[in-house]
Amino acid sequence: MKIKQVILIGLLLPASLVFAYLNGRDGGSQPIAYNHNMHVQENDMECLDCHVYAEDGARASIPNVELCRDCHEEASTESEAEAALLSYVNDNRRIPWRQINVVPDYAYFSHRRHVKLGELDCVACHGEVGEMVKPVSEPFQEVTMDWCMDCHEARNVSNDCYACHR
Amino acid sequence: MPKWGMVIDLNKCTGCGECVTACKVELNVPVVGPEESAKGRTILCMDILSTYEGEFPEVKMRHMPRPCFHCEHPPCTKVCPVRATYKNDEGIVAQIYPQCIGCRYCQVACPYTVKHFNWTKPEWPEERCEALNPDVSVRPEGVVEKCTFCVHRLQKAKEQAAVDGRDLREGDYVPACVESCPTKAMYFGDLDNPKHKVSQLKKSHRAFRLMEDLGTEPKVYYLSEVE
Repeated sequence: MKIKQVILIGLLLPASLVFAYLNGRDGGSQPIAYNHNMHVQENDMECLDCHVYAEDGARASIPNVELCRDCHEEASTESEAEAALLSYVNDNRRIPWRQINVVPDYAYFSHRRHVKLGELDCVACHGEVGEMVKPVSEPFQEVTMDWCMDCHEARNVSNDCYACHR
Repeated sequence: MPKWGMVIDLNKCTGCGECVTACKVELNVPVVGPEESAKGRTILCMDILSTYEGEFPEVKMRHMPRPCFHCEHPPCTKVCPVRATYKNDEGIVAQIYPQCIGCRYCQVACPYTVKHFNWTKPEWPEERCEALNPDVSVRPEGVVEKCTFCVHRLQKAKEQAAVDGRDLREGDYVPACVESCPTKAMYFGDLDNPKHKVSQLKKSHRAFRLMEDLGTEPKVYYLSEVE
């Protein structure tokens, strides 16, 4: 029994270490180890600089190579993540970002309604993304109807089903 | 608070079916196929009731487009055990799909038979799947659906008006059927706003509502044909 346990640990431990290393290198569930902190804190960028429709559109948009190319036509650092990005930019391939925050299709969610009209800060729903050094791989807040309705009630916004459902 | 309603001028309606098609496309209404259709399971949130009078060659056809009437006293909402259907403050009789348990009480209670049950998982031809309206959810199997007065258009129109810093204007929000009518036989607006065309037309001597004796007070008025 003890030998089996030792063998099992001997196999699992290196495997988990390799997984952890790869996971850290390639940014978890995202294709590139994108560093929000580097962009927002160190280079004074705003969320809207990359998520260009977050204020005026229903969907915020996740930037892809067309936008990244504006700053990353050539390597400006020696980071592995930027090298990975440049391979996408140079080959003009789409970066297969995984969308983390998903609203069900039966609910009408509009960023414009929340950011522009409701004057909500991005952090209210997304947390301090600007301080994250690793890419977002899970939502800051699970979108539940209770959560939406509590906020609507606190801000005196309609909680009629047809305010969101469709 | 507005009371959204519709007026349909039967004098102008040619029965072309454009409103039916526009509704089908706008609301992502599934095509059920010939077998299901033969069982009376066709889903038409906007339908045209046609009647034939006289005998060939002297046949007179009459057409009556029929959406959900969004009754002021809807019988369907009273029987819903889970409040999946209810009348909201703007008079729209809502159908909340994730809340619906598919008991079909409302379908039976509706005297105008405008409620439809999704007997099967909705399917479209492959080419059509790419062209579904992203503003309207695809209903799952086992829920009741109906005309919503294209409420998704109201959600967007309200948002746009708020961004522009103004109130909703007449014409900002019209359902797809009204917008598509080639003979402009359909009108839509606030029945309580005297400036809106519908509130004037509903007072016409030609105006009537279907099965008025039931006391449901539909918010869809018809203007009778003038011979």
